Amino acid sequence: MKGFTTLILLCISTISYATEQAEEIFKQLAPSLYQIRLIDTASGEKSSIGSGFQISSDGLIATNYHVISGYARHPNKYTIEIFDHQGEKAPLTLLSVDVINDLALVKRTTDSEMPFFEIAKSVPQKGEELYSLGNPHDLGMIVVPGTYNGLKKESFNDRIHFTGSVNSGMSGGPVVNKNSEVVGINVATSGNQIGFLVPHDKLLKLYQRYKTSEPTSIDAQMAQQLTDNQDKLITTLLNSEWQMRPLGEGLIPVVNIPFIRCWGESNADKADAIVSAVVANCSLDENTYISNDFFTGSIEMQYRYMQAKELSDTKFYQIFERQLNQVRSGNKAGKDDVTEYQCQHDITTPSNLAITNKSIFCTRAYKDFPKLFDVLYVAISVDKGDQALLSHFTISGVSQGSALNFTEKFMESISWK
Amino acid sequence: MEIIIEEITRGHKLIARHKFLQDNINIGRGYDNDIIMADPHICAQHLSLNFNGEHWVLNDEDTINGSFYEDEFSQKKLAVHQHIVHSGQVFLIGKSLMRVIFPDHPVPESICFSPFENILNFTRHPAFLTVSIFLFATVTGWLFNLHNPIEATFTGLLVPAIGMTLMFTLWPAGVALVSHLTKHEARFWGQLGICFVFFNLMWVSDFIENLVSFNASSQSIFGMIVSLLPITLAFCLFWLNCHIGFQMTKKRRTVVAACMILLLFGGSYLIQLSKKPEFSVRPAFNTTLMAPSYLFTSSNNVQDFIENSKALFTKAQEAAKEEK
Repeated sequence: MKGFTTLILLCISTISYATEQAEEIFKQLAPSLYQIRLIDTASGEKSSIGSGFQISSDGLIATNYHVISGYARHPNKYTIEIFDHQGEKAPLTLLSVDVINDLALVKRTTDSEMPFFEIAKSVPQKGEELYSLGNPHDLGMIVVPGTYNGLKKESFNDRIHFTGSVNSGMSGGPVVNKNSEVVGINVATSGNQIGFLVPHDKLLKLYQRYKTSEPTSIDAQMAQQLTDNQDKLITTLLNSEWQMRPLGEGLIPVVNIPFIRCWGESNADKADAIVSAVVANCSLDENTYISNDFFTGSIEMQYRYMQAKELSDTKFYQIFERQLNQVRSGNKAGKDDVTEYQCQHDITTPSNLAITNKSIFCTRAYKDFPKLFDVLYVAISVDKGDQALLSHFTISGVSQGSALNFTEKFMESISWK
Repeated sequence: MEIIIEEITRGHKLIARHKFLQDNINIGRGYDNDIIMADPHICAQHLSLNFNGEHWVLNDEDTINGSFYEDEFSQKKLAVHQHIVHSGQVFLIGKSLMRVIFPDHPVPESICFSPFENILNFTRHPAFLTVSIFLFATVTGWLFNLHNPIEATFTGLLVPAIGMTLMFTLWPAGVALVSHLTKHEARFWGQLGICFVFFNLMWVSDFIENLVSFNASSQSIFGMIVSLLPITLAFCLFWLNCHIGFQMTKKRRTVVAACMILLLFGGSYLIQLSKKPEFSVRPAFNTTLMAPSYLFTSSNNVQDFIENSKALFTKAQEAAKEEK
């Protein structure tokens, strides 16, 4: 009984200590913590909100790119401003972005030196208690304690797995350790106390790069970042092991890499189906946010094996033709962002002569980011009467060279057993 | 003295022809006339034609609405009053047109039987017509089954096959009706026979188009050439419809068929164009698939396919520059 009482008292004292520490951190950091507002120029009202924090004495503020993306994409439509802990507003200018890691540097004008957040020099320990700061749902600045759970394994670009509530409006807010040093930046949530943070080293790199050379144009900076990231991704994919796995009577390539995850489905439970179908989908779990209507950086691969049950070849291929009509782009983009697709088709055979496909390749160009394209490839085997294999991939925001290298390897990899 | 009087339509199509041997002819609504008219704008005793030993003289009987003839030189309508008529001259009484023809009036040259006539007669033969319509209905039913995602029953296919066949019968029936209304011979069976021959040829044309579309690459020009096939077939069908149903010159028949092609294909192109969205996020590509037994073309290798794809990037980038 005595032991139980001691345990309860210990728990209460720990919670009480954590609360006190959170309050202390909040009091200490509040002057450098801001709400970032995107203001619609025409109506004068805020269009979206997020959080941000000062990282230098001369008014440099870090936030998420997606918080100020409206201004970055349409500087004539929006303005950006901060709202500090005393309720004061001040206009901001956009200095630099890291669209891949969803970071942005903005600046307020200052007359005197201001307090700012220190960026941590080291990575937190797994299980270390962290404090996420921000302004959720425009309800006022809050501090949320949580735990550091290391980096997300299935992510091509590093993201910290944070066990704590990261809510809408807290995006761009800092996550600090007990020493009030920034170890991450709030960026996303999966709900149920699962949050994701951008590691502090990404912010440090952006800050140091900005100090070395200021970008001449945000669009050009974004284009370069998108190209570099996608080239790095495609190179990683091409240099990784492509395991050949069976799908029905076909062999499909599966890239053995943690950030490309595969899922499967079939209609084996439907005895009355006139065609038996097996489907495998592999994709990158993340994509790059450009604006509400424009995402890029995605990779998707889809394979579908179909076998006819008591169907004529003609009807079987007629049914398969419908599968082709369902092929869609892998990312969201609109008229202002991309051109319409340009396509070509041909009957092709890889060098191992293991399959004959009707192959279709389509591409569309980005309007604001030269030399970046979305590509789409789909192939259907046309050499077996009652069996067919569909192989399809989409890559968004990729350079011509990377796209064609990937296409070539993909086309050469598909075959029958 | 003999004389022929023709009742004609406003388009100068023949309604009735009367031949007289006497020297005096009366025209009017009265039952004692030589030609009894039904037009209520014509008087009981309206017009008389008298041979004076040298000429036929036309005289209006002081009627309410008068009688008129068309002057050959001025092309104007002039009132009839002791008018000497010429062979071929047209005159108007009430709202009816009549033409006077003398026995020595020249007739146009005889038209020899068209080489199509034998074929046309063959297509309307009951046995051929039955086979032709049955073939059309069978292909229609088979296509319904092919496009049905599940296996269809025979009775399930029978209804759309018969329905579609009846719907396609409306075209020859319509042409025959127009022929009849324009005072031509309807020749419904002839129209039906030739139409179903061409409807079946359209199925063949569809198959050839699909075959070429499946086998040819996007760099090939065969696809474009083959797309002219249905236009050519439709032109031939319209031309033959005119040939069977209407008496017109070859030139006019060609113009009418061309106009109908323009209306049909131009119209459907315009409809497609009007439905096309300003911007489409969906890729538009050739989706034609056929069973492997229809694959005749040799395969391209991956390297060549990649090389051909490079041109798309250039095209897309140019489009991006233009649209920005």
